[in-house]
Amino acid sequence: MDLNGAVADIIPWDGSLSSSDFFLSARTFSEKWKMFNPSFPPWQWIPCPKQHLVASHKVEGYLSMENMCHIKSSEEEESNRSLTWEEDSNDSQREEPFDCGTLVCPEHEVNHYDFHIVYSSSYRVPVLYFRSYHSDGQLLPFNEIEKDLPCHSAKLLSESKWTFITHEEHPHLNRPWYKLHPCGTSEWMKLLYDGDSSLNRNGFVIEHYLVSWFSVIGQVVGLKIPLEMLDTVVSNDS
Amino acid sequence: MSAESPSSVRKVVVHLRATGDAPILKQSKFKIAGTDKFVKVIDFLRRQLHRETMFVYVNSAFSPNPDELVIDLFNNFGFDGKLVVNYACSMAWG
Repeated sequence: MDLNGAVADIIPWDGSLSSSDFFLSARTFSEKWKMFNPSFPPWQWIPCPKQHLVASHKVEGYLSMENMCHIKSSEEEESNRSLTWEEDSNDSQREEPFDCGTLVCPEHEVNHYDFHIVYSSSYRVPVLYFRSYHSDGQLLPFNEIEKDLPCHSAKLLSESKWTFITHEEHPHLNRPWYKLHPCGTSEWMKLLYDGDSSLNRNGFVIEHYLVSWFSVIGQVVGLKIPLEMLDTVVSNDS
Repeated sequence: MSAESPSSVRKVVVHLRATGDAPILKQSKFKIAGTDKFVKVIDFLRRQLHRETMFVYVNSAFSPNPDELVIDLFNNFGFDGKLVVNYACSMAWG
């Protein structure tokens, strides 16, 4: 297993990503998302203020897609759970909820979801953070979020309570968000690309990393990548 | 109705390929109706291998959503008349 430096340029890839590769890959991902998923809100790059004494060439930031709507009808069909984008919220992302008189229609309750893709420098992989709130801005407790998740995720959740989705501090916002645990990420990313040993696909892999990653992660929260978008991550060698 | 109409229910040849520590199936190729969803392939693997969590992916590039139709996957990613599906057992989240 251990080939110590004998073949320096064929070091097996461990499935992880550097922070500048994350930036590159994030750009590709959000461009493709915009092109192939025009009915959804875009993933926007949110730059983060640099900390003092950090090397200036470092690109810090995360991807953000906010205000996805999960509409719950009174008789929800199990198989039909999905996230839909209802309508735009007129640029201002952090709109105050309108509050002139309250009209409650319980049969058409909407849960809003914000998703962030943040780079973890300790695991060297992207991590999905999310939170959910009612139309009035009140955050959803986790047992309600659970009901919005696809059934395979809910099942997984019941089996591995502390290693799948946890409530943790958002690294840039310093508020508690839900997070998909990243321990296994590099392992399955490596597995995902392993079948293809034919080429030096390294540059290709890095660029499309986030699209491939999201094809797995999106399933957990019920977000789907269109096939046409996935088409672009398949290398057409031979 | 009685006549053979291959186009009405198009069958897709799925080739299941083990990766990682996954056991190899005795029969690795089988036919499935194109109108079936991909979840059927996943469930088949689960039953065959007695595993709850599987990692199933296509073309060393992505993991198909269980809701996708097999025919759509075949049309986009099929090669040589079949759809190659890789599977591994070691899918861990944390």
